[in-house]
Amino acid sequence: MKKLTVVFIALLLTVFAFSQTKLVFWTAPNPQQEMFWKEVVAEYETLHPEIDIEWSTIPAAGSSEEAILTAIASGRAPDISTNIFSGFAAQLADIGQLVALNELEGFDELVETRKMGSIIEGWKINGNAYVIPIYSNPVLMWWRDSLLKEAGFDNPPRTYSEIYEFSKNFVVPMERYSIQVIAGRNWWDRWFDFITYYYAGGQGKSYIDTERMKATFNDEVGQEVAQFIKTMFDNQWTAVDLGSDPFYNGAIAGTLMGPWSIAYAENQYPDVVDDIVITPPPVPDNYPSDQPIYTFADAKGLVIFNTTKNLEEAWEFVKWVFSREDFDSKWLEYTKMPPAREDLLSNEVFADFWETNPLAAEYAKYVPYAVPPAPITTTVDVQDIMTVELIEPLMHGTKDVQKALDDAIKAINRILW
Amino acid sequence: MSKKIGLAKKEARKGFSISSIYLIYAAIFWGYPFVWLFILLFSKWRFVGSPQFVGFRNITRVLTDPLFWKTVTNVFRFMMYYIPLVLIGALLFAIALNKIKFGKTFVALSFLVANVSSGVAYSIMFSNLFSVNGPINKALNSLFGITIPWFTSPQWAMFSIALIVIWKFIGYYGLILYAGLTAIPKSLYEAAELDGAGSLTKFFRITLPLLNPSIIMVLVLAITLAFGIFTEPYMITGGGPMRSTLTPMMHMITTAFQRMDPTYAATMAVFVAIISFGMIWVIRKTMEREVDLV
Repeated sequence: MKKLTVVFIALLLTVFAFSQTKLVFWTAPNPQQEMFWKEVVAEYETLHPEIDIEWSTIPAAGSSEEAILTAIASGRAPDISTNIFSGFAAQLADIGQLVALNELEGFDELVETRKMGSIIEGWKINGNAYVIPIYSNPVLMWWRDSLLKEAGFDNPPRTYSEIYEFSKNFVVPMERYSIQVIAGRNWWDRWFDFITYYYAGGQGKSYIDTERMKATFNDEVGQEVAQFIKTMFDNQWTAVDLGSDPFYNGAIAGTLMGPWSIAYAENQYPDVVDDIVITPPPVPDNYPSDQPIYTFADAKGLVIFNTTKNLEEAWEFVKWVFSREDFDSKWLEYTKMPPAREDLLSNEVFADFWETNPLAAEYAKYVPYAVPPAPITTTVDVQDIMTVELIEPLMHGTKDVQKALDDAIKAINRILW
Repeated sequence: MSKKIGLAKKEARKGFSISSIYLIYAAIFWGYPFVWLFILLFSKWRFVGSPQFVGFRNITRVLTDPLFWKTVTNVFRFMMYYIPLVLIGALLFAIALNKIKFGKTFVALSFLVANVSSGVAYSIMFSNLFSVNGPINKALNSLFGITIPWFTSPQWAMFSIALIVIWKFIGYYGLILYAGLTAIPKSLYEAAELDGAGSLTKFFRITLPLLNPSIIMVLVLAITLAFGIFTEPYMITGGGPMRSTLTPMMHMITTAFQRMDPTYAATMAVFVAIISFGMIWVIRKTMEREVDLV
């Protein structure tokens, strides 16, 4: 009798174990995001005991891209992964690794519930939505109020000419510079300088025409931006190698920053926090003052890999997560990064948060005007060419504005074709 | 007789089973990737599916890729600064260490600290130190009225990177040379002194020739290091300005994982390996001497 019971229990356990559907789910290796997903996954598993979500952060590697590609190569890709930027999504879609979510049942309802209709348009690749945008980090300008006042500026400069004026009053060579115009020389730095300025000056117009596969930034706006960069370097109002944290130690009065810097500032430089004023990126002088200013969105999303054996279950989980407002509110609470939805300021759920986090609230205002990078498969090469043909010549004064733009466009179009 | 054979057999089996651990290890972590590297060399593959044979296309592409050859010349520019400076520095360190009477271990250890420091951490430290408004430029400006664009001028940037790597390896190479120095018998110097040799003669006729094995070892280490340099330029200059500090390793990693072209990156890796092995072979052929200390 005893034996029989043991056998029966063992049998029951195996049946139970095999009837559970396993979903492998990877998220960004970031403590705040981990906290969020841990709770969400636990809740889903209690609601759905038949699903076992094997949740972990993207395995340690040089970058998430590296980890995911190696996993795909060795046939160990997860079912679902977060932390995917639009360019990488385009590459993955190009090699046929992603599920086109818009073809799944309930996609339109999900977009409607989460209020992300126009945001998702910016993420489409060849007309398909492969990515659910999780967060959208507008890049905005931070200014040190006390330093502005010192130079006689009650309000932060809005246009290029105002920045020139400010620079004349403020810059002491080798001591302090007005703003950090160029973020660095890695390919991704172009997101945080040229592309941001270009979106700002051109009302969000893309630097690449993805329909005709052509670079388009040698227009009037591109010229204005390039001239701005050149003027700042020619007059030595800015520099590149300013050491670490130049904004906080007063070596510059302004710089472009993402909302992830808020938590850093609060932890590392609490004295400076009250001195921060946030504005949109600077614009050309003739930019109409009654128009909203667009900016770049550092945005990441979630994808389902089409190697998944449990597409239905994976999609159910994704739908469940993103149809819950309280999760977006929790996300905001934990990470301070605005969820990719259009009702951030009108929805009651988030109101308390904005009240207690005024710096984060500034970012929320620009989520509707924040444009993600162009969804192309050659992001690295395109932005590397921008660096070598456009930005570095402007910094070192080796080319004039038009030639730098034309050279960059020519080289980029060659690889886009 | 038969007992003897049995013993020999047993010994052989024992030997084989001990070395088999290494053989299995090598087969998995060395042999398998090596075979794969050759498959990738002649194929086109983008992480999914099976590799497609493309013949010599990757190889001709590397041969005609100006960016790859730029990174290779960057390595040679790096070595031009790095090897002479680090050799002289390490030699001076070794000679000084040999002369110190007390606290030898402490001095040696303090130089080794640089070698075990995290690349990311000291890269941040140096980029602060060398920044346009950093302490070094401020001092130079107040003393001589000049500033040096350490990381922003295409001419200086590789030199600055070399300086950092020299700082890191001087203690390590110095200890290798120091070990070589202590192995030279004192009697040789005493005999030379009796013959009236001055200190320069002693250095060039005794120390330097007898140090040859250690110097060659340092050279080989320095060359392999130069072809694999990554963290410092990646963290500090991002390969710039004007791609003057872009190294083959950086180029390969972005090509494999960001441009999604692992087969092309593998081909570049093979070229880099051939070039560095070639250099080491030439150095050993031309400079290595048999040294008999007894």
